[in-house]
Amino acid sequence: MDYSWAPLMGSLVLGLSIASIWLVAALGLTIIYGTAGVINMAHGEFIMLGAYAAYCAQAYLGTPFLLCLPISFVVVALIGLFFERVLIRYLYHRPLDTLLATWGVSLMLTQGVRMIFGSSPKYVQVPEFLSGNVSLGIMNMSSLRILIVLMTVVLIVGIWYLFYRTYFGIKIRAVTQNREMAASFGVNSERIYMCTFALGAGLAGVAGCLFSALAIVLPTMGSNYVVESFLVVVTGGGPLVGSIAASAMMGEFKSFFSYFFNSTFAQFLLFVLIVIVLRFRPNGLFANTAVRR
Amino acid sequence: MLMQMSSMSAFYGKTQILRDFSFALDEGQCVCVLGRNGVGKTTLMRSIMGLTDRTTGQIEFAGRQIGELPTHERSRCGIGYIPQGRQIFGKLSVRENILLGSFARADGQVEVPEMCTSLFPYLAENLERRAGLLSGGQQQQLAIARALAVKPKVLLLDEPTDGIQPNIVAEIGETLRMLNKELGMTLILAEQHIKVARKLSDRFLMIDNGRVVAEGDIDELTDELVDEHMTV
Repeated sequence: MDYSWAPLMGSLVLGLSIASIWLVAALGLTIIYGTAGVINMAHGEFIMLGAYAAYCAQAYLGTPFLLCLPISFVVVALIGLFFERVLIRYLYHRPLDTLLATWGVSLMLTQGVRMIFGSSPKYVQVPEFLSGNVSLGIMNMSSLRILIVLMTVVLIVGIWYLFYRTYFGIKIRAVTQNREMAASFGVNSERIYMCTFALGAGLAGVAGCLFSALAIVLPTMGSNYVVESFLVVVTGGGPLVGSIAASAMMGEFKSFFSYFFNSTFAQFLLFVLIVIVLRFRPNGLFANTAVRR
Repeated sequence: MLMQMSSMSAFYGKTQILRDFSFALDEGQCVCVLGRNGVGKTTLMRSIMGLTDRTTGQIEFAGRQIGELPTHERSRCGIGYIPQGRQIFGKLSVRENILLGSFARADGQVEVPEMCTSLFPYLAENLERRAGLLSGGQQQQLAIARALAVKPKVLLLDEPTDGIQPNIVAEIGETLRMLNKELGMTLILAEQHIKVARKLSDRFLMIDNGRVVAEGDIDELTDELVDEHMTV
């Protein structure tokens, strides 16, 4: 390969890594928003809880890092289930109010975690083989970032299988398209929303577990991810394929712009680009024209 | 008696659509619900399914009070609903639409029933097609197939021939006749086409302004009655 092209190629690979981080952060939000229409402002805090779940599992039970992934999933899914039952389920017919309610939840969670664990950062240990770098020929990449890319692919395949190859998936898609007709054929839409919310929360938990190894664990870490997650969902328009496309586009452009300019200016350019996209496709790239309540 | 509705009122918000509505239905019958647009035919169907905002009064179906049940449990009692405008799931495949119908089956078996494929060969050959790509008549066939997958005791048909080209209307009429007369399935049919109604039904139910204004055997459906309550 021509030497001068190598850094550019490298930045594209880095873009893939950025994209996968944003996508894995946005997966739970995509599912919750795309299916139930709930704007979950507490999504960042679910990610944070996933990170703390991993920290606790490791610090108190000595769980190896890779086993923390399913633990984070289950713990945060149960927390999501709890909030769905006591709060969110009363708001399905008032999507805008879910925004305020879940924002309140996010404040509670941040403060609650701060009270229990304090404001000092926590660290999650990763095993030897994840702390090094892997040579990709043109560049080196940390093995943790490669794990995140792989994990994102695994989660997407899993979600795709669940949505398009199972009876549960038929029910989810039917409820999303036409809740009344789905109910007329025996689908309990309340239960579907409940399961979907728990699933989305659990996915945020997995993302949090991955991020706990990438950076320090703090009560406020959720806000680092929530903006990008929302941008991915809004730009994508709601469906899973939209989020995949949006995060790929955003990650690559971010990395591409960072190659020519500095990172802050790249972020600025990226946001401008998103505004332009939304100017012409206000409902997102893959707008969901489903019947909502 | 398969279904009995007694002094039922149905509301959307504060607007009352059905007023003190009562009727009874025997197994194997085909009842035709007649009336002008906007008198409450669709609301009658929707209140049987529990899709109106609020209802008062009782519905007894197959020996069970279903008036208070949520919609998804009513369908599991054996009610197959074919709504106005078909309302098939356009983004799901033909197969998925039919499978969805079988989610409401009492025995919990999920399948594309043989009856659906033998009645509608076009659907059988295009099971993987997106339902939204089907023509209007094909979508109506799919709506019927989806309701049949419930293994219903009764089919609710809300203007099944509305907006469908004439040769398909005859085909759908023939399918319904076969289901009712040969397989003994009970039908509640809301219909604008008086001819179709006369051909298919055993009984009729004339609605005006949310009330039953006349009912009886289909032979008793005189032209005067039709003129009085259906001519605009």
